[in-house]
Amino acid sequence: MKFLRLFLCLVTFTLTACMSHLFIDTSTRLQVENKTDVTILGLDIVSDDGSSVSPWIRESIEPGEKSKVVEEDWVGTFRVRVRFDKWDKYEKMIAVSCVTDTRDVKVRGLKKQSEVGVTQRDAGSGCNGEGEQTYAELELEFEGGSQYLVVSEDENGKAVFKFR
Amino acid sequence: MTDVVYLDKMLMKTGLNKIFLLLALAAGVAFADPIPAEALTQGGLQMRDRQLRDIGLVMRGGRGGFIDIGYTYTPSSEQLQLKSQYGVHNGYAFRHHYGIFGSWVLDSVSHFGFLTWFDRTGWDSQDFFFFPHYGKFAHISSALTWGFSYTNKKYDATVALGLQHQNLELASHRIYENESDSLLFYWAHARYKSLSFQGSFYRGTFQTLRFSLDLESRALYGGAGSGFKTYLPNLNATIYRRKSGDDDDNFVRLNWEQNLYEQVLYADVTFDFPDDGFRSAALKYYPDPSRMIGFEASCIRRHERAGASDLLWGGAIDILFIRLGYNSVFDYENMFHAKGTLIAEIKFQIGAADGKFFGRGAAKPAPMETTQNSIDLKKFMKSHAEQNMGTTTRDSEGRKVLHAKGIRYENEGAATTSSEGGN
Repeated sequence: MKFLRLFLCLVTFTLTACMSHLFIDTSTRLQVENKTDVTILGLDIVSDDGSSVSPWIRESIEPGEKSKVVEEDWVGTFRVRVRFDKWDKYEKMIAVSCVTDTRDVKVRGLKKQSEVGVTQRDAGSGCNGEGEQTYAELELEFEGGSQYLVVSEDENGKAVFKFR
Repeated sequence: MTDVVYLDKMLMKTGLNKIFLLLALAAGVAFADPIPAEALTQGGLQMRDRQLRDIGLVMRGGRGGFIDIGYTYTPSSEQLQLKSQYGVHNGYAFRHHYGIFGSWVLDSVSHFGFLTWFDRTGWDSQDFFFFPHYGKFAHISSALTWGFSYTNKKYDATVALGLQHQNLELASHRIYENESDSLLFYWAHARYKSLSFQGSFYRGTFQTLRFSLDLESRALYGGAGSGFKTYLPNLNATIYRRKSGDDDDNFVRLNWEQNLYEQVLYADVTFDFPDDGFRSAALKYYPDPSRMIGFEASCIRRHERAGASDLLWGGAIDILFIRLGYNSVFDYENMFHAKGTLIAEIKFQIGAADGKFFGRGAAKPAPMETTQNSIDLKKFMKSHAEQNMGTTTRDSEGRKVLHAKGIRYENEGAATTSSEGGN
């Protein structure tokens, strides 16, 4: 009987598992503030190989502005791409953007969260193509719930991303 | 002494139950590797195959009954995260399952049975028991196997057949490969003495074909309880249908279970032919051959990298109501390649036949207590009263005289004394 009691206790205890939604967020409500002096065109979650892009913040955010709050099911650690209109201090990065293997570009984008290099990639053909993109790519951890992301620029011309 | 009593005493002695509970809680903070999305899309095949293997074990006897019910308990959303092409998602991998077999005695030799096995597995952003959250990256699928069995005790033969449904409840198109929505398979199992054959088919083509030779002698099914016959091997070979492109790329998995010591210590080795070779090995220790309680150490080759670093070493403890596994082969295969974390499963599993109890795949029934130690109060009182009645005597005039036993208060003259005192 004692064993049965232990079993019933275990069952009761584990039944609390289905109550996790009461205290665990399964979505993130994201708002982005732009503290740089360029316009942010949007924020996407991209796949490891860059082949799949899932837009999150679709509106453009003017310097000093905040985006609307957008709720998505991203809770965990994901690769985030923030697209900029332009980036003043990207001269050195242009050379990188011309490398045909785009993986090189990404490796640079994977530096520490506080010093993300903004890369410019040619989305068209050749380095002088028209459809070029300027973006920063990094891995961010979303804990779920309401999250406020501040994008700014440090003195070295790197983009800085911080949750507040 | 039964296993339960034995276990109870063991737990009481060492306070192990508290330790297990703490371990289960600690699982939440363990460093776990996320499960790959590809492993979830292959979950259906794994579920179906495991259910048929389970049924094969239960059909060794083919009579009596069997129940196996349980669910995994992984308390933290960061314990079994999901690895997709976008990154790592917080959430829960789950496995809820049951397997029930029951049989009726038709005549002195014939037993007719019905069996149903059900698994619901997958990954969701919240944990649940019956009603999933259906998150945007969830994968939920189930497999149901059911059928009928007929066992003839005289010929020591069993035949079983039925259907198997695989149903994809939800799979996010964003991260999972395309899968068939629902599939229907046929399965059949035939056993004659220690030789059995099992097959599952889809639209006339086989999916798995399994030949088993259970040579080990088991006292549970009327075999020898000791001696060299109990050391004979249990072998089974399964042909799996596999396609690579348009060509058939079938392979054979050979499984060898070997009693090493008095049916309490077993080795279990699996090989894949023709290409992959060694797949897994396990050393299992059951304190009692009835397999109510088990300990195992196992290793599996994951085919992810070369050399010894490809081997995943782990173990599990199974004590009737709870199973704790760390990197064990079973968890790796059935929980979508989960590793690096302690997985707790709350479960109950028992088989019964001819008034004896045993665990899945057991060689001997659990030793049962035959003496009744507790006192039935009603019975006791009745017999006591009857004894007292026996002391009834008759006096010289033929009247009944009851001799009362116990406390008797006699104080002649006390009443007089007290009345005097009242004046």
